[in-house]
This record gives sequence, structure tokens and C-alpha cells, in this order.
Amino acid sequence: MNDHRIVLMGCAQSAGAAIQELQDRGQALPDNVEWVRMPCGSSLDELHILRAFESGADRVMVLACYDGACRSVNGNRWAEKRVEAARAILEEVGIAGWRLAFQQVAPTMAADIWQWIADFQALQPPQDATPDAAQGAESEA
Amino acid sequence: MIVAERKPLAEILANVQNVNKLLVVGCNTCVAVCLAGGEKEVAVLSSALRIGLRDTNPNIQITQRSIERQCEEEFNAELADDIAAHDVVLSMACGVGVQTLAEQFPTAIVYPALNTTFMGRPEERGVWSERCMGCGNCVLDKFGGVCPVTRCSKSLLNGPCGGSENGKCEVDPKNIDCAWQLIYDRMARIGQLDRLLEIEPAKDWSTSRHGGPRKIVRKDMVL
Repeated sequence: MNDHRIVLMGCAQSAGAAIQELQDRGQALPDNVEWVRMPCGSSLDELHILRAFESGADRVMVLACYDGACRSVNGNRWAEKRVEAARAILEEVGIAGWRLAFQQVAPTMAADIWQWIADFQALQPPQDATPDAAQGAESEA
Repeated sequence: MIVAERKPLAEILANVQNVNKLLVVGCNTCVAVCLAGGEKEVAVLSSALRIGLRDTNPNIQITQRSIERQCEEEFNAELADDIAAHDVVLSMACGVGVQTLAEQFPTAIVYPALNTTFMGRPEERGVWSERCMGCGNCVLDKFGGVCPVTRCSKSLLNGPCGGSENGKCEVDPKNIDCAWQLIYDRMARIGQLDRLLEIEPAKDWSTSRHGGPRKIVRKDMVL
């Protein structure tokens, strides 16, 4: 299986704490995964996501707090809105929407993040998906 | 303010498919406020174009600029060198800004990135609605500050029509308030309901678009 270049970006309070726990346990993120830590999900902008794809990411996963757990009240909901906006733009320029994922997470979910990365890495295009611009690049990787 | 929204990217991509040097220019006034063509939107569009063109035109050079107001030549003057150094200018201003650039730089190829939609106001975060269609003969004094020309789907000056129900317009009962319900409520609130008994004559549209493109000349301001 190809190692797709994955960018994880998300809230320091939830995802950041969980990833820190992974690292404290000696589980470094795979080399093909880049972690972008943000102070809050509300800091996310669709430009961050676009720039990740522009810089060569094959897949991007945004991690934000569960509803009601955001220290800034609605940061996680804004993050999801930005993901939706970015996905719409990406689809307009030929990047399939499934390449961008949004996941809610809690600080205690280090093991889940590990599994999500593996699942996202293994994710295949949906059967009915039309080939997108990035697909050729992935198959050549 | 003028409210606009970005054109579909497929339309923009088609215009810049074979361009070598592209200048994307934002406008930091109206279209920045309605989140369509300000500095941030210039960055988003430029990034989207780089992604969208990476297979078909990977060597395109995209330069991002944003100026205060594209509808005034004084502000555009600072773009002269950039425009000369690029093949195509993609303007994220309203139609006025696009045309000002095209007039000011006669040999420049200028394409619009936005669809200019209406004069309106922000109702809440992320929501803008039309308030004025520039008819050239304001009647807001007669209707409590609610414009029947713009906000009534039929532009009725003697309303409401039979399509008003529960304060909504039959054209789109979910999203359009009946302007005449708004007018009636407002006139009641300010104690001017009696003014609605007056029959308003047919509107003189000669001040609107029906006389062709309009121009205002202030002779006291011209030497």
C-alpha cells in the first residue's frame, strides 16, 4: 500500500493533548503524517486546508473537540464549517471530497487517533467516485 | 454596500487555463465586507487555482494583490507595474472595479472573478440581503424607510398584493418577507398609517436604468 501524505490539523486542547499522549508513550506519528497544532478549531481557515493540498498532501484530516467540550464554545463547529467550505472548493477544482475528513476527538482518545490515521491511510475512493486530479499522483507515489 | 459572490471555479479556470502570469487583485471595500473579494478571498482563490491548474498549467505564476478600492483610479495606480508584468488580471472587485481597471489600463486583459449581485446589507453573520436597486428617485420617506421598489417582489407602490400571507411573499414564503407587511407595521409604529391612504401614482422610471447608463455631474466640483 502506498504511504499517502496525510496532514492532520486540529485543536491543541483535544487532538493536541491526545497526540502528545501518543508521543509520551513513544508512539511517534508515521513519517508520512504531518501534525499541525492549532490553539483552537476556530483558528482553522479553509486556506490552511487548501495550502496543505497545494503543498502536496494527498489527504487532510481535521480534528476538533466534541460539541460542548470546546473551551471557546463553538470552535469545533466553526472548524467543521471551514472543512465544508474547503471541501466545496476542492471539489470544484477536481479534488475528491473524501480526501478531506473531519473528526471530533477528546484528549483521552490517543488510541483512536492512531486508528483513524490507519483507516484514513487505507481509505479507498468510493465505488461511485469519479477519478480526481490527485488520484493519478497517489497511484504514482 | 455592493454585495457579490465568487463565480464558479470552472468558469474562472476556463478563462485562465493558458495564462502564464496571472495577477489576482482583491478589493478591500464592499466585497471584502461580504467575504467575496478581499485579501483573504484572493489567497483562497489563488490557492484553489494553483491546485486546479497543476495538471494542465503547472507553471502558471500567480501573484496576489489587494488594494483599497478598485472603483477609483487613484487606488489602482499602484497596480500599474504589476499589471504590466502579467498576462491577465483577475479582478475580485465588483463589476465597477473590473471596468475601472479595464478603462484605466486599456491594453490589460481583465477578467471578473465575482458575480456582482446587489446593493444590500449584512443581516447577520454570513447573510446579506438586497435593500436598494438604485432607481434614482428614493421613496423611502413615504414608506417608513422600507423600500417597496426593492423589497416587494413586484415593486408595487400601492400594496400589498394578494400574494401576501402571514407576512410573507408568495414568491418565496420561506425567505422573503412581504415588503408591504413590513411597511404597514413600520408606519403603524411611527404613527403614519394615514399616509398609506394616499394613492401613489405610477413610478417615473426615467431616473432608473430605462434611460440608459446614468451619470451624475456636480458642476460645483468640476473646473
